[in-house]
Amino acid sequence: MSIVKKILDLDQRVIYLILFVLLAYPILNPVILPMAIQDYSKQAFNFADSIPDGSVVLIEGGNSAATHPQCGPGLTANIYHLLTKNCKLVFFSIGAEQAFWTNREIQDAINKLPAGVPAENGVNWVHLGYISGGESGVAALAANIRSAISKDYYGTLIDDLPLMKDINDAKAFSAVFWWGGSEGSIPYGVRQLVGPYNLPMSGSCTTNEVPNYSPYISSGQMKGIFGGVRGSAEYEYLLRVPGPALGQAMATNFGGLFWLVLVVVGNVLYFIQRGRGEK
Amino acid sequence: MSSRLVKISLPIWLTSIFGVLMIIEFFFPMPAEITATNTTLRSFVLIVSAAALILGTVILTIAHVRRISTRKPEWYYSIIYLIAFATTAVLGLSSVRETNFLWIYNNMTSPIGAALYSLTAFYITSAAYRVFRARNWNAAVLLITGFIVLMMLIPVGAAIFPPVVPIGEWIRSFPSSAGFRGMIIGTSLGTVGLGVRIYTGRQKEHLGIREERKEVS
Repeated sequence: MSIVKKILDLDQRVIYLILFVLLAYPILNPVILPMAIQDYSKQAFNFADSIPDGSVVLIEGGNSAATHPQCGPGLTANIYHLLTKNCKLVFFSIGAEQAFWTNREIQDAINKLPAGVPAENGVNWVHLGYISGGESGVAALAANIRSAISKDYYGTLIDDLPLMKDINDAKAFSAVFWWGGSEGSIPYGVRQLVGPYNLPMSGSCTTNEVPNYSPYISSGQMKGIFGGVRGSAEYEYLLRVPGPALGQAMATNFGGLFWLVLVVVGNVLYFIQRGRGEK
Repeated sequence: MSSRLVKISLPIWLTSIFGVLMIIEFFFPMPAEITATNTTLRSFVLIVSAAALILGTVILTIAHVRRISTRKPEWYYSIIYLIAFATTAVLGLSSVRETNFLWIYNNMTSPIGAALYSLTAFYITSAAYRVFRARNWNAAVLLITGFIVLMMLIPVGAAIFPPVVPIGEWIRSFPSSAGFRGMIIGTSLGTVGLGVRIYTGRQKEHLGIREERKEVS
C-alpha cells in the first residue's frame, strides 16, 4: 500500500483525538485572538443598542441543552444589554425544556449586572414560561396574552405582575428578540409578529441555520442575527462583557482550521493518487 | 347521523370555516365577535397541543413496556427509559424548581445534550477528510465555496486571509440567500396549495383517510 493511500485511510480515531485536543486546549486555556465582527452580528448589536431606554421588549428563549453552550451566552449578553438600558423584558418559550434554559440565562445575566441596575422579577422582567402550540401558540400570545397563559413560569398570576398591567398583546412591545437555538422557529416570529404587528425583530440561531434566515435579513424583516457560538462571542466582545462564548469561539479557530487543513490535504493526496492511476 | 357525515364531511366543513376565519382576520380588520371567536380557537390549539404531549408520553411509555414484556431485541434499553422517565416525572411533578430536579437537568440533561450535539463536529471532520473531494466541477464549486465560508466563520479567518470576509459575506447574502428565498417561496406556495386542498375536501390524509390514486393512462 502506498504512503498516499495509507494517509488517506487514516484511522478516524486519530482524527477524533487530534480534534478533541484542539478543541479542549483553548477552552481550558483561553487565549483571545483578534476577531472580525460579522455584518449580521453588527446589525443585530446596533439594533439592540438603538432600542430606546425603558422600552418593553419581547424575547423568545429557544435554547435547549444542546444549544445552550453556543447560543446561551449570547442571550445572557442580550438580557444584560437590555436591562442596563432599563428596558422591560417579557420572556416566553415555545418548548418546555427551553423555558428552563431561558430562566437559567436570565439568572446568569442578573448575576453579572453591575450594582444598581434594577432587575426585579415582575417589575423589570417577566418570564411567561412555556407556550404550547408552536406557531399557533405564538399567534395566540401575540393576539391576547391572557388567553394563552394565566400564570408565569414561577406560578404567579399574570394579573399580579406589575409589569404586565398594561401589556396584553404584541402591540405593547417595541421590539422582539427571537433566540431560536436550533428550533427552526425564527419564521414563526417573522410571520406572527413582524408581519401582522410591524415589530422590528432580531435574534439568534445555531451557525448552520444562519443561511436559512439570510433572506429575512436582506428583506429587512430581521435586523441582523447572531449565529452560534461566534455570534455569542461577538455580542460579548461588542458589549465589552467577556463571558464563556469568547473562550469557546477561540476553540472553533483551532477546530475549523484543522477541518480546512484536512480537506486540503485530502484533496491534494486524492489528485496525487489519481495522477498515479491508483484506486 | 351517517358515518360519512361524522367522519368526513363535518371535519372538512369545520376545518374550512375556522381556517377561513383565521385567514380573513390576518388580512382584514374584523368585528369584535370574530376576533373573540378566533382568540378562543387559538386557546383550543394551545390546550390540544399540551394534551398531545401527555398523549405522546403515554404512548411512548406503553411502547417501551410492550418491548420489555415481549423481550424484543435490546429490550433492556427500555428499562433505562422507564427508570429515567419515572425519576424525572416524580421529581418534576413534586416541583420543577426543587434542587433534585435541577440537579438532574444541570448534571445530566445539559452535558448529555451538549455532548450529543458536539459529536457531530467529530463525524463531520472525519467525513470531510474522506469524501469532500473535487471529483468534478460541481463538487469543486461546492468545495471552494464551503472553504471560503468556513474560513469566514472562523474568528481568526479574517486575520489569516482578509478577502475571505467580503467574499464569504457576498456568498451568504446573495447566492445563498437567493437559493433559500426560492425555497421559502416554494414551500409557502405549496402550503397555500395544501390548505386549499384541505379546505375543499380534496386532501383527506389528516382525517386518517388514504385514498388510492387512479392511474391515468
